[in-house]
Amino acid sequence: MRLRVVIVDDEDLARLVVREYLAGIPDVDVVAECANGFEAVKAVSDLQPDLLILDVQMPKLNGFEVLELVGRDVAVVFVTAFDQYAIRAFEVHAVDYLLKPFSAERLAAAIDRVRERLGRGDPLPVKELAAAGQSGQEPARRILVRDGPRVHVLPVEKIDYIQAQDDYVCFRCDGKEYLKEQTLADLESALDPAKFVRIHRSYVLNLDRLARVETDERENRIAMLADGRRLPISRAGYGRLSALLK
Amino acid sequence: MHPILGRADRLAAYLAAWAAVCAFVAGIFTRLGLTWTEALVLLVPLFLIYAFVCLSAWYVSRATPLTTTSSLRVLASSILASAFASGLWLALTNAWIALLSMTTAFAPSADRYGQQLPFVFAVGVLLFMLALAGHYVLLAVETAREAERRQLELELLTRDAELRALRAQIDPHFLFNSLNSISALTGSDAPGARRMCLLLGEFLRTTLDVSARQRIPLADELALAERYLNIEQVRFGSRLQIQRRVDEEASSCLVPPLLLQPLVENAVTHGIARVLEGGLIRLDVSRHDGRLAIVVENPCETDAAVQRPGGLGLDNVRRRLDAMFGRDARVDTRVAAGQFHVELSLPASVRTE
Repeated sequence: MRLRVVIVDDEDLARLVVREYLAGIPDVDVVAECANGFEAVKAVSDLQPDLLILDVQMPKLNGFEVLELVGRDVAVVFVTAFDQYAIRAFEVHAVDYLLKPFSAERLAAAIDRVRERLGRGDPLPVKELAAAGQSGQEPARRILVRDGPRVHVLPVEKIDYIQAQDDYVCFRCDGKEYLKEQTLADLESALDPAKFVRIHRSYVLNLDRLARVETDERENRIAMLADGRRLPISRAGYGRLSALLK
Repeated sequence: MHPILGRADRLAAYLAAWAAVCAFVAGIFTRLGLTWTEALVLLVPLFLIYAFVCLSAWYVSRATPLTTTSSLRVLASSILASAFASGLWLALTNAWIALLSMTTAFAPSADRYGQQLPFVFAVGVLLFMLALAGHYVLLAVETAREAERRQLELELLTRDAELRALRAQIDPHFLFNSLNSISALTGSDAPGARRMCLLLGEFLRTTLDVSARQRIPLADELALAERYLNIEQVRFGSRLQIQRRVDEEASSCLVPPLLLQPLVENAVTHGIARVLEGGLIRLDVSRHDGRLAIVVENPCETDAAVQRPGGLGLDNVRRRLDAMFGRDARVDTRVAAGQFHVELSLPASVRTE
């Protein structure tokens, strides 16, 4: 099976050496080179490669964030120069990685293992690694949402609320809605618990957007947002909200 | 350890002083009609023993140090101790006189001496107090020396720690990435790979060399930063642009080593490396009215998601400047319009050491 590979690194020379090594490995086609994470997401969407050779330290979107966005569609071999935090995450989750500078043999071995894994059909622990990438800067200060080849970066302070929709969460942010495949519980744990509160089974609210709490004729509590929207508050949600506002 | 008993030279000097006192007292007795032989036989054993008794003044001086004891207590303990020592001496004198009285040759002189006992007691008190004063002086000298030694040791330790910290400052990330660049160049551009090896070697050697020195000319520091930037230029290519403006008269100023280099390193790792399209690092060094100003500016990530630029290198520079110049040096940073700006201001010194 021919392996279609995309090389992702912000340094020209770093990409150059990977390309040179890959030229010596049979049945490997380099279909694209990307200098940043946005290009990588676009390349995965447009070209549907089998494998990303992905640098961890890159501007704007690091390797973990790229993985979080595209990890379900593509195999990944991580490359890093010296990032003890990333290395620990790879070790913990038994993920293969290359340390710069590495040899052609080392890359070939990694490619062999990728082929084996693809043959067996077992994917990378995307969620765990993405979480490991996140916890470097706890709590999350931005949310990444992939929209086909595009990546939306949502600063958390611009998010009004998040609504659960089946296997997705929907972010209400700057007057627009963004869908992301994630559970509300996973998302909630990544956000700052002093700013975001689960007011209902299906809603997480940015406290800054709360204008007041009203009670309707059937004794249900309603969160009134600054922009006039109304969100339901459950009994447990009201408890969490009161604890935060105290 | 007793400061006199513990050292032969001091003990000799101490006993010599006592011999002089003993000779002086013997001289007085010859005036009173005793021969030198009689006076010396009578006095030498007593003074010799008393010299050693007076060494115990050390323990009195240690038990009541001048710095932490009230003067009243010092006075009381001195009087008590000297009265006690002198009383002991008086008893010894009595015994010695009794012994000498049994001999025919010295019995008359011993009897004469026996009539001077109040005088003996007074001299005993006086001598003990003198010894005590001497011990206090010794104690002060020893304490001062100890303090000096500790201060030196502390300075040495600080410098050692500083050096180690400086060495640790060679960012491993930078090293491995540079090696990777060399590895990449080897295949396509062998002369380039060699040039990079030389640059890296020079950079490492200079870093180790300057970090062992107290002060270096700013020109050396600038050269070091230049080497660093040359290496990063190979890595980042057109993403890294540099603009320098250095006052001729500023480059002869003496500065602590690795003052500028961490700022330039920050500008690359926290600035250029985190901005997609890279940008321009502006370096401005000037000297005005006896002050040296070093300004580094670089584009930085404006996303709320990225932590403030600066990092450990800047903290280290701030701490070292503070330790060296106190309020006389300033480190100012600000972020405006996507630019990170850091300015060091310190006294311009050109003194050669």
